Amino acid sequence: MLILFAFLVLGAAGYAAAEGKKMKSFNEKYQQRVVIGTVFDESGGALPGVTIKIQGTERGAVTNSEGKYTIQINNTSDVLVFSFIGYISQKIVIGEKKTLDVKLLPDPKNALDEVSVVAFGVQKKESVIGSITTVKPGDLKIPSSNLTASLAGRVAGMIAYQRSGEPGRDNADFFIRGITTFGNNTRPLILIDGIELSTTDLARLQPDDIATFSIMKDATATALYGARGANGVILVTTKQGQAGKAKISFRAENSASTPTSNVEFADPVTYMKLSNEAVATRDPLMPLPYSEEKIVNTAAGKNPLVYPANDWRKMLFKDYALNQRYNLSASGGGTVARYFVSGAFNKDNGILKVDNKNNFNNNIDLKSYTLRSNVNIDLTKSTELIVRLSGNFDDYNGPLEGGEEMYRRVVRSNPVLFPAYYPVDAQHQFVKHIMFGNYGKDAGYLNPYADLVRGYKSESRSQMLAAIEIKQGLDGILKGLSIRSMINLTRTSSFSYRRGYDPFYYQLAGYDSQTDQYQISQINDNGKEYLGFEQGQNNLMATFDTQSMLNYNRTFGKKNAVSGLLVYLTRGSLSANAGDLQKSLPFRNMGISGRATYSYDRKYFAEFNFGYNGSERFAEAHRFGFFPSAGVAWSVSNEKFFEPLKKVVSNLRFRYTYGLVGNDQIGDVSDRFFYLSNVDMNNGTRGARFGKELNEYKNGVLINRYANEDISWEVAKKQNMAMEISLFGKANIIAEYYTEKRDKILMSRAAIPSTMGLSADTKANLGKASGQGIDLSIDMQHAWNKDLWLSVRGNFTYAKSKYVAFEEPQYAESYRSRIGQSINQEYGYIAERLFIDDQDARNSPKQEFVGDYGGGDIKYLDVNGDGKINEADKVPIGNPTVPEVIYGFGFSLSYKRFDISAFVQGSSNQSFWIDQGATSPFNNQTQLLKAYADSHWSEENRNIYAIWPRLSPTLNANNNNQSTWFMRDASFLRLKQVELGYTFSKRLVERIKASSFRVYVSGSNLLLFSKFKMWDAEMAGNGLGYPIQKVFNVGLNLTFN
Amino acid sequence: MQPIKKGSLILKMVLLVSLTIASSCKKYLDIIPDNIPTLDNAFTMRSEAEKYLYTCYSYMPKDGNLGSDPAILGGDEMWAIYNPPRPEFNHYIFNLARGTQATIDPIAGYYWGDLYRGIRDCNIFLENVGKVPDLTAQERAQWIAEVKFLKAYYHFYLVRMYGPVPIIKENLPIDVSIDKVKVSRDPVDDCFAYIVQLLNEAKDDLPLIVGDPTKMLGRITKPIAYALKAKVLVTAASPLFNGNSDMGSLKNKDGKSLFSSAVSTVKWDSAAVACKKAIDICHQAGNKLYVFNPAVSPYKLTDSTKTTMSIRNAFAEKWNSEVIWANSQSISNLTQKVAAVNVDFRYIDNPRIMSELAPPIKIAEMFYSDKGVPITEDKTWNKDKLTLRTATVAEQRYIRKDYTTSAINFDREPRFYANLGFDGGVWYGQGSYDDTNPSSLYYVSSRKGQPDGKTQPDYGSPTGYFVKKYVHYQNVQGAGVSDYTVNEYPWPLIRLAQLYLMYAESLNEIAGPTAEVHQYINLVRERAGLKSVQVSWDNYSNNPTKYSTLTGMREIIHQEELIEMAFEGSRFWDLRRWKEAIPQFRKPVQGWDIEQANPDFYYRRKVLFDQSFGLKDYFWPIKDGDILVNRNLVQNIGW
Repeated sequence: MLILFAFLVLGAAGYAAAEGKKMKSFNEKYQQRVVIGTVFDESGGALPGVTIKIQGTERGAVTNSEGKYTIQINNTSDVLVFSFIGYISQKIVIGEKKTLDVKLLPDPKNALDEVSVVAFGVQKKESVIGSITTVKPGDLKIPSSNLTASLAGRVAGMIAYQRSGEPGRDNADFFIRGITTFGNNTRPLILIDGIELSTTDLARLQPDDIATFSIMKDATATALYGARGANGVILVTTKQGQAGKAKISFRAENSASTPTSNVEFADPVTYMKLSNEAVATRDPLMPLPYSEEKIVNTAAGKNPLVYPANDWRKMLFKDYALNQRYNLSASGGGTVARYFVSGAFNKDNGILKVDNKNNFNNNIDLKSYTLRSNVNIDLTKSTELIVRLSGNFDDYNGPLEGGEEMYRRVVRSNPVLFPAYYPVDAQHQFVKHIMFGNYGKDAGYLNPYADLVRGYKSESRSQMLAAIEIKQGLDGILKGLSIRSMINLTRTSSFSYRRGYDPFYYQLAGYDSQTDQYQISQINDNGKEYLGFEQGQNNLMATFDTQSMLNYNRTFGKKNAVSGLLVYLTRGSLSANAGDLQKSLPFRNMGISGRATYSYDRKYFAEFNFGYNGSERFAEAHRFGFFPSAGVAWSVSNEKFFEPLKKVVSNLRFRYTYGLVGNDQIGDVSDRFFYLSNVDMNNGTRGARFGKELNEYKNGVLINRYANEDISWEVAKKQNMAMEISLFGKANIIAEYYTEKRDKILMSRAAIPSTMGLSADTKANLGKASGQGIDLSIDMQHAWNKDLWLSVRGNFTYAKSKYVAFEEPQYAESYRSRIGQSINQEYGYIAERLFIDDQDARNSPKQEFVGDYGGGDIKYLDVNGDGKINEADKVPIGNPTVPEVIYGFGFSLSYKRFDISAFVQGSSNQSFWIDQGATSPFNNQTQLLKAYADSHWSEENRNIYAIWPRLSPTLNANNNNQSTWFMRDASFLRLKQVELGYTFSKRLVERIKASSFRVYVSGSNLLLFSKFKMWDAEMAGNGLGYPIQKVFNVGLNLTFN
Repeated sequence: MQPIKKGSLILKMVLLVSLTIASSCKKYLDIIPDNIPTLDNAFTMRSEAEKYLYTCYSYMPKDGNLGSDPAILGGDEMWAIYNPPRPEFNHYIFNLARGTQATIDPIAGYYWGDLYRGIRDCNIFLENVGKVPDLTAQERAQWIAEVKFLKAYYHFYLVRMYGPVPIIKENLPIDVSIDKVKVSRDPVDDCFAYIVQLLNEAKDDLPLIVGDPTKMLGRITKPIAYALKAKVLVTAASPLFNGNSDMGSLKNKDGKSLFSSAVSTVKWDSAAVACKKAIDICHQAGNKLYVFNPAVSPYKLTDSTKTTMSIRNAFAEKWNSEVIWANSQSISNLTQKVAAVNVDFRYIDNPRIMSELAPPIKIAEMFYSDKGVPITEDKTWNKDKLTLRTATVAEQRYIRKDYTTSAINFDREPRFYANLGFDGGVWYGQGSYDDTNPSSLYYVSSRKGQPDGKTQPDYGSPTGYFVKKYVHYQNVQGAGVSDYTVNEYPWPLIRLAQLYLMYAESLNEIAGPTAEVHQYINLVRERAGLKSVQVSWDNYSNNPTKYSTLTGMREIIHQEELIEMAFEGSRFWDLRRWKEAIPQFRKPVQGWDIEQANPDFYYRRKVLFDQSFGLKDYFWPIKDGDILVNRNLVQNIGW
């Protein structure tokens, strides 16, 4: 392979035309005068490094660290061209002016106008053929410590959503161009400075440290990642130092977060009344759980220790939490070395309450620290050494069961059985512990308050990365040739422990309503007054990456540009706490990949890429896979014939790519070596017991996997068509259409009957899926004058997938087949209505579920008409559970020193299901949702379209089925972010020796529009968990030069 | 140093590093060390192979397990609380009793998958055990016999549930073509023939008794194999499998009949031979009917207590002389707690004691009168079952003196008192053993407001009866909130008494009541403190000649079996194999009105449930999903 590639590169060189013409000689005319001035950025800050050229000449200047420049001009008709990467170039006729201050506006296309980040390098933006979306790091700045929370709706081609708002557990789910596989791994490959890292690492990244953020979507963009890029690639590079005076930037934010919405419960009296109704309506002979006396006295607000009416949620959770974020960075450098150093500290608090009788904190407190140091050293004129060190550290403190579980426990806790705790009374005056309430012989009921305050969990995670990279220009051997090598070491460690006490529970032992005297008695004797300790999981991971690259880049003549790239990379990682032998073996990947590009006259472009990758997971015969791709592009607007149109359509370009990419993460970690059988030689569940005293126990043998030598990669065939168009130089539109065919998806064999007696699924690369969609992004910008400018941007992603081949049983009903359905399609019964009465239920087709049903229970449609409702009547229902459409749009407006921006994000084509099991009132003491209390079938009010069917003290098997009854539309539109900023005047700023000073207020998740009202629709089926947070934020940004 | 020179040095270094990495390219991905455990390792030495033997045992269905054994809470012998708020065990199987069996996910349908997995492991063992080098020929033969036995038993369990099933004689390889894995059901006679063949192959390589009881009790022995063979052949000869015309239309896709419609009396002949052979082998191994005779009892016990204790301990005393086969993979612990009653009133708050298992009144009525005949036939027995009676001194070892309870609890055979707890019933043991002082013995008081009355939704008998048989008499409550010491025992699968009754049944089916038929049933009756069939019926029955006809004797044997084997998971299968389930299961499930405190109101019958049972319920439905995957499997009739 290597030889082939070398041949290719050398061959291209052979075709090369003569050397470019020598530079034009300088115009030796008398320099007439000098113009001076300052260049500012959009917020009024000085812009160093701006190139100023006199049009048509080679003469130029560069702004210094204060943004000042001096240039000698020839005559008044000279045109000065101000250009800077990421900003729109400006051309100004000098006229008679002697000083000329210029404000450059950022190029809305992206931060890097001239070059674009591609796999293992950069390319001139105009020559990129693959589908790559770049995001301005500034757009990722939202008032959250989690970078992934900002992704939804910002990136054309990315489906993203967030299901939880719990600090430290609030990573968004995101998929590039949706999910096109039903294999194990659907996540994109995340590379930060070329190193593969996890979603959490991306989440902890500071937007202030990011130089570029790109999403690679099609085969050409990702082919170099070979067997790892099939789900797309997120490529982030961090900032590097720029030569010049030290620039220090400081940002501080303080924000308050509060749930966007809370699930509403019925009041305790209604709870008791309907709990009685639930028992009576199902079995009139059963005793009622709550006496009339208890209901009346609770309603009257009598002694709350005897007649408790707990609002558990209020007792457990505060209204809001305060969070802080700080970021400090310094960059600069001289001619030999440049540096970028940054540190960040984020503190996120949960909204859980702490009992002041305890002296420890059980609320969520996540402190995360990030340190980063990027140093570039020019060892020689052609040698650059780059050292990157970064570390991020999390210290987490939180409730024993986690915040999410506390929310869920509130739902499962009876509000009227006992108070959270009893105050100390005369009888228990020497008690040192909190006297938690409970009930029954064994205190077996949930007291979520006790669960919350009885202890805490601490976790700590550290990750250190150290990378060293050398770039060597090899112009001496062949002009345009360079070589680059990198070694990276990553060490990740985490540990956790729990400290808590076992609560003592008390219950009411007697009550005299005349005197309002009550007695309490202790239920359990196994509580503790002191903390216990439990060691949690410790994890250690070590990763070693190497990359070596040979790069060739040259333009022959004026029109022929060629480039070539060859990469060799290895990655190995080891886990210290693997748990079993097969998992303890190193995880390894290696590959050679390459790219060759050719362009002619900035009009015609062609590119070929390949990845040749191997993974330790596969049998030797299938260990390596070859993934080629190719693409072409045509810049129509650079054609001569297009000239007349250029005033309207400043840029028009078409791109097409096709190629293969792979996915080697086809199974669970425990399922790594498909070509080996996995036999647990010491399995506890397969043991047996014998002997007189029944104590002769031996473990047995369990086959966890049957060997299959043929299992190999999942392969994606991707096709991308794109059109780029710019109108009037102001509006840029990129529209892309893609199709994808996933082949060889690993799946469990469905055709093996249980009579085979296999103890583990057998798997094979049998599945096929396809996907298609549209990515659209539009941005526009307009400056009315120096003081007022506006930019508007929007993007839209549509991604749809379907099963193409899927081994499944021989269904008699065609609608049961998954083939043709979306990968995230749910199946269920069609719920027609509730049964009018028992008679109606008996006269309807038999619903074959374990358990009784009758009037007020859900009536399902007999789809196949066989007179009974069973599995065969399940049909695809609703939209997929992952949204097919994600969109966002926003604007930024700047007027003098004020700026305002807003961003709206939406999602549609998604269904979710209310968890009917978890919300089933009274089942295992589950609370009654207000929505159910207000709308349910009852014998008095036989509403056959009520939200909740006939009440039941336990889970009703008939109603506890996935059906259209509890299906909801998850579409929503939300005001994701608003920011209002003010930049202080130069005069004021200079007094504090700073170069710029901006203060701002911002908010996120401020408004939500959706049809579904019970909880935040973005949480979808996870509505009983820790709610998504609404954040109000104030911040300041201070820069010193 | 010149910059260019430095550059070329670095260049050389970079190239060198790159080359070194590249040269190790092929090895880099070769990370699998030798000796990764594979199936071969299971048969390289005796100790590993023994683990595989244990693996074959691990699939033993957990008989007596409340959450999984359909024969305990899935029939009509016991009732329980429907949907307790915080159940101590999974009540899912109880839905079978409540008639909601369905084909989507049949209740207890997991046996289909589990047992076929067990059979596959048995086959793997049989294929590979020859490779184990350090195994003596005798031990190898014994292990092979054990595994063949298990393979036979797993097939038998499936046949009992599903009728004809696919026989898996040998394992199919993993990569066999899809057509081959789609097996069909084998005719039920073939199934029984194969099971018997396996047992025949196994039985003579097994030891008469285990070599080392402290380590091996529970392993398969010769008596167990002979006894199971007897049980299999009796089952095969019974009406459900022997010429069952209701199943005549059950045919494979290719038209092959799965049930023969001709009744074959020869089947009873072989059943009788097998029973007799098994009885002889068991006697040879030292098995005999259990009689309670504590060697070091501080108390001199009355005969009535000894009799009831003989009955209780024949089941609940581990490894007693009568137990031929006990399932050491299913140890009775939770079952005892769920059955036990808070008889020690000092500790009624003990949450470990749930008193939840509740025999319906029809089961209480099934037991004989004290004269040894059915209460419906007893000329002397009190006919007015609704009246209340107060226990006198004469009855005080069965019913608490001066306690008022229903008349049907009086004048019953010892097995009634040994098997059942009831309101007013004395509960011998649990720490109080001196029956010369009857007032010191514990008793049940389960009316509303009394210590054993139903107070909380999770606890208490819904019928007013309790299963005493399960609770070992030496289990003791303690002062701690959850103190309850349980004397565990492996669940008995075959007792000698049942073998006697099966032998009597087989002989009677061949030639009607002979002296030998009476002899074997009377052995069981004698231990239960009853007079012989002849004496009892002659003197007390209003149908005194019943025992002299084949059908009369059949009825007597069936009832004797139901009584003797009550609550042991036998009734569920016996009623099916006799095809008597429809009349029995259609009787309403009744209990006393447990919400009442006053005996006049408490002792009113309350219908708890109307069970239903149809022809289709004789066999389990095959899960829809299994048929979808393998269209060659035909569904049982009615499903």
